[in-house]
Amino acid sequence: MADPVPVAMGQGSSCWGCFQSLVDIHLRLAEVLPAIEIKYWQAVADFKLHHLESYEDKSIVVGFFEGMARTEEDIHLLKLMREKCQILIAFGSCSCFGGIPGLANFSDIEECYDVKFRNNKTVEGGEVPSENLPGIASVVKPNSDFVDIDIYLPGCPPTPDLIYTAVSALLSGQPIDLPPHTVCHYCDREKKDTPIEEVLRPYQGIADPDRCLLEQGYICVGSSTWGLCEGQCVNMGSTCRGCFGPPPPITQDHGAASISMLGSYAPMEPEKIVEEVKDPLGTFWRFDYPTSHLGRMRIKREEAKEK
Amino acid sequence: MSEEKVIRVDPVTRLEGHGSLTIKLGKDGKVKDVQFNVNSTRFFEKFLEGRPMEEAPRIAPRICGICPIPHHLASIKAVEAAWDVTPPPAAIKLRRLMIEAKQYSSHAIHFYALAAPDFVYGPFANPADRNVAAVLRDLPDVAVQAIKMMEFGQELIRVIGAKAVHPTTGIPGGMLTSLKEEDRDFFIGRLEEIQQLTLNTVDLAKKVVTDYLDVITKVAVVPTYYIGLSNEGVLDIYDGTVRVQEPDGKIVADFEPKDYTKYYGEHVAKHSYATHMYYKPAGYPEGVWRANTLARCNVNEKMATPLADAALTEMRELVGRPSHHTFAYHYARIVELVQAFEWCATLLKDPDICSTDVKLSDVEPKAGDGVGIVEAPRGILLHNYISDDKGMLTKANLVVATNNNIAGIEKSLMVAAKQIFEDKAHESLTLPEPMVKR
Ligand code: SF4
Ligand code: SF4
Ligand code: SF4
Ligand SMILES: [Fe+2]
Repeated sequence: MADPVPVAMGQGSSCWGCFQSLVDIHLRLAEVLPAIEIKYWQAVADFKLHHLESYEDKSIVVGFFEGMARTEEDIHLLKLMREKCQILIAFGSCSCFGGIPGLANFSDIEECYDVKFRNNKTVEGGEVPSENLPGIASVVKPNSDFVDIDIYLPGCPPTPDLIYTAVSALLSGQPIDLPPHTVCHYCDREKKDTPIEEVLRPYQGIADPDRCLLEQGYICVGSSTWGLCEGQCVNMGSTCRGCFGPPPPITQDHGAASISMLGSYAPMEPEKIVEEVKDPLGTFWRFDYPTSHLGRMRIKREEAKEK
Repeated sequence: MSEEKVIRVDPVTRLEGHGSLTIKLGKDGKVKDVQFNVNSTRFFEKFLEGRPMEEAPRIAPRICGICPIPHHLASIKAVEAAWDVTPPPAAIKLRRLMIEAKQYSSHAIHFYALAAPDFVYGPFANPADRNVAAVLRDLPDVAVQAIKMMEFGQELIRVIGAKAVHPTTGIPGGMLTSLKEEDRDFFIGRLEEIQQLTLNTVDLAKKVVTDYLDVITKVAVVPTYYIGLSNEGVLDIYDGTVRVQEPDGKIVADFEPKDYTKYYGEHVAKHSYATHMYYKPAGYPEGVWRANTLARCNVNEKMATPLADAALTEMRELVGRPSHHTFAYHYARIVELVQAFEWCATLLKDPDICSTDVKLSDVEPKAGDGVGIVEAPRGILLHNYISDDKGMLTKANLVVATNNNIAGIEKSLMVAAKQIFEDKAHESLTLPEPMVKR
C-alpha cells in the first residue's frame, strides 16, 4: 500500500456536523483511515495547536477546514492550516459561505451580546466574558476573505457519499469531478408548470407526495440549489432550504437566484414572493448571507465603522 | 516550585466543543484556579428572532452536529407548546425512535472513538497512537464492531429524518413523512447482530471498569447537584418532568418544563463564552449541577427497559446512588446505550410505527410562550420561544447541554488538578497494563 497521506482537520466556529458526516461513511472508514496520516484533528487525536504550528510549511497534503472563522483563534487556525497544507478544502457550507451562523450578521454584535449575556429569561446583567478568551469579530466574514481556498465542498453537512467521493479522488491524486445539476434534477416529484395560488407554510395542509412542493405553494429552493445531496429532503416530504448553496459557479448570489428561479419555475411574480413569504432574507439566504451581495454590503458597513 | 505558573491545554482534545483549559499554580505549588474556556459562540438566540416559528427546528440543530436530533425535537416541542398543538401518537413514536437512535450512535461513538483510546493504549501513550485510527489498525475487530453500531443508529435516523445530521422531517403538528415498511423491515433484520454487539460492548466496559476501579473510585470524585429528565422516576430522554437532585441524593425539585425559570440559574463566567447553569434556589456556585449520563442515572430510580435496568443495578452496586465519580460517566453511558437499543427494538416492532397518520392538517399559529425539553446524549437541553400571533419568533432562550455541564466539569477538573499537582495522587494509583503496547 502507498504511504499514508498526511492530513489535517481544522475546526473554526462550527457544529461538528461535517466531521460527523465524514464518520458516517461507516465501513468505508476501514479503507480511508489507513490511507491517511492524521497530523491534526482535535476531536479525535491529541495533537495540540503547538504541534500544528511546529510542522513545516506545506508538509501536510490535504487540510479540511470546518466552520467559519469569527474568533481570533479561528482566524489564526485558518491561516495556519493554509500555511501547512498544500490543498485547503472549505469543508461544508459554513466554511464555503458563512453558513447558518452567518445569520448573526442580521444583527449588531451588541444586540447579540444582549440576549446572550445581559438580558434573557434566565440571565441578567452579565458582562461579556473576556478572560483567557479570543476576541469575537463584529461580523462573520467568509473564510475566503482570509485565505485562498483550493476546493469548496458545500453542504450542511456534505453527505457521506460526497465526502467519500472527494476523499477517494484526493488520495489518489485525481481531480474531483462533481455533477452540476440542481436539487430539482434529483427530485422525484412531478412539475406541471402551474402557477401558485397561495404561498403555504410547511405545517399547513397535507402535501401531495407526488407533485412539486413549490407548485403546491410550499416555498422550495431546490431549483437554485446545487444538487450534490441528491434531493434527500424533497424526496422525504420536506422542502429544500438550500443548504448546499448555489450550483457552479458557486460564487453566484444564491438568494437572488432563488427569487428569480421561483418566478420561472413556479411560476410566481417576484413581487408576490416578497409580499407573501414571511422571512425572505432568512429563507433565501439561509446558508450564504455573508457571501451574498447584500451580505457583502453589511460587512462593508462594519468595516467602515472600524476605520 | 518557586514561580507562579500557568498551564494551558489548547485545544482540549477528544471532546465535542471548542475548549481550552487554564490551570493556575501558585508559588507554593498549590492549584489556585482552573478554568474551562469555551472559546466560541455563534448567537443562535439572536438570529432565531424574526424567523417563522416552524423554521426554528430547521435552524437550531446547527447548534450541534453530534446531537442535532435532540435540538430538532426540543425546538419542535417548544413551537408546539407555544401554539398549543398536540401531534398524532404515531408521530411521537417516530420522534422517539429517532432520538433513541441518536442516543445509541452517539454513546457508541463516544465510548469507542473518544474514550477507548485511553484504555486501549493507556493514558500516557504518544498522541499519534492514542486515537481511533490506531484502534482500527491494532484492533480491527473492535473497530468494525464500533462502526456497525454507529451505522445502525445514524442510518435509522436518516430513514426517519431525511438526513442523519440536521434532520428536516419534524414539523409542528407531526412529521412530514412516515417510515417505509421496507426500511423498518431492514432494521428489524439488523436487530439480532446489533444486540450482540451491544452486549459485547457491555462486557468490554465492565472489564475496563474492573481494571480501572482505582481511578474511577479515587480520581475526580466530586459531589454536585444533578439535573435530568424523568418519567415518574424512570429514565426517559424524550418526555417527562425535570428533576434536580442534591449532592446527598435527595430529589429537591421535580417540575414541568414550562416552570423552568424558577429553578434554572444562569451565571455568566468571565472566562467562558458558554454560561454556567446552577440550581437557582441554592445559588452559585453552591448549586452547580451536572447533566449527562451519570446525572440521568442519579436522578432516576430506574431504567425503562429490562436489560438496561439490570445493568444499572450492577453499576449501583459499585458506585452507589448518587454516584459522584466523574469516571462513572462512561459506565452510565453504557447503561444508557443498552436502553437506547431496547427502545429502538421495541419501537421498530410497534404495529403503528409505519402508520401514515403522522401529521395534522389544521395547525394554526397563535401568540404564545413555549418550552421544549429533551435529553441530548450529553445532557438535558431546553428551547424556549415566544411566538407572535402570526407565528413569528420574537424571542428565544436556549440552555443546552454544554451550559449544564461546564461548571461541573470545572469543579471536577479542580479536584483532579489538586490530586495531580498537590498530592501526586496519580503516582500511587493502580493502573492496568494497556491492552495494546507499542
Ligand atoms: S456546514 Fe452545517 S454541518 Fe457543517 S459545521 Fe456548518 S452548521 Fe455544522
Ligand atoms: S422545486 Fe422543490 S419540490 Fe419542486 S421539483 Fe424542485 S426540488 Fe422538487
Ligand atoms: S434538499 Fe436542499 S436542504 Fe435538503 S440537503 Fe439537499 S440542499 Fe440541503
Ligand atoms: Fe441562553
